Amino acid sequence: MSKLKINGKEKDFSHKIPSCLSELLELLEVDGATVVAEIDGEIIERSKFETTKLQEGQSIELIRFVGGG
Amino acid sequence: MNIADDKLIINGQEISSRLFVGTGKFASNELMKSAIEASGAEIVTVALRRVDIDNKNDDMLSAIDSDKYLLLPNTSGARDSAEAIRLARLARAASGINWLKLEVTPDPYYLLPDPIETLKAAEVLVKEGFVVLPYINADPVLAKRLEEVGTATVMPLAAPIGTNRGLSTRDAIEIIIDQANVPVVVDAGIGLPSHAADAMEMGADAVLVNTAIATAADPVMMAQAFKLATEAGRIAYKTGAAAESKMAVASSPLTGFLRDE
Repeated sequence: MSKLKINGKEKDFSHKIPSCLSELLELLEVDGATVVAEIDGEIIERSKFETTKLQEGQSIELIRFVGGG
Repeated sequence: MNIADDKLIINGQEISSRLFVGTGKFASNELMKSAIEASGAEIVTVALRRVDIDNKNDDMLSAIDSDKYLLLPNTSGARDSAEAIRLARLARAASGINWLKLEVTPDPYYLLPDPIETLKAAEVLVKEGFVVLPYINADPVLAKRLEEVGTATVMPLAAPIGTNRGLSTRDAIEIIIDQANVPVVVDAGIGLPSHAADAMEMGADAVLVNTAIATAADPVMMAQAFKLATEAGRIAYKTGAAAESKMAVASSPLTGFLRDE
């Protein structure tokens, strides 16, 4: 069991989950400079992406700006 | 009156253009960028959404020069005050910007804003230091209530979002303008430059336009048309309309006709 819930979908990491948010973003090929994250409902500042450790089963939201009115 | 001296002030900040533009529905980031530039807008709205992990698109923010424009994140998609507050906090964390277009639209068909949830969210967000610009139905009582809790503007709709139907709420917007002590921004439903001019002639402080520009055959030219219309309407409002009359009042002299009486 090496699972995280990312943007509402369960994702299975075959060996072990990424250690921190930065590693997760790298793995997903998402540019961290434009993203804001929430872990289990708590906002994580971008400056803390590297120091925020991940734990199995957490629910992570990755959010960014899009066009809107 | 010099239009350059007629500045819009929101939350103590001078805003260079009375036309705000949205960034949704553009066919490409390039087109969006050119249209925003042609509009002369300083305030530009954006939305927050989940990153699509399976289909990572280009980042639209890279197309907007943050030194030149004031980004106004919205809370679109929020169905109640809790969701709006969550989006507001995320927007601030993502951008460092504490300005916010507050919108709470539980109804998916008409996207009409929920007045009670909007007021509830505004109260919390103002206390948290947000500069709140609430999107509301054209309800003069709600506009006053929002002003009382400290919102920086009120933004009544002309017609439902994206309908391009113009000032269907004209009478109520007139009352809002008459009573407001904060800037009134007519938001949503403005479909033509003449609608924007109309709102500005009535005394609105600004207008917010997205769909009418983004989905025009040529968004860049339409953005320019909205810029001119917004400015024209504002100048006309500041100048004051000439008197109306039921009967004709000749513009040419009524003497010296080329005939013998």
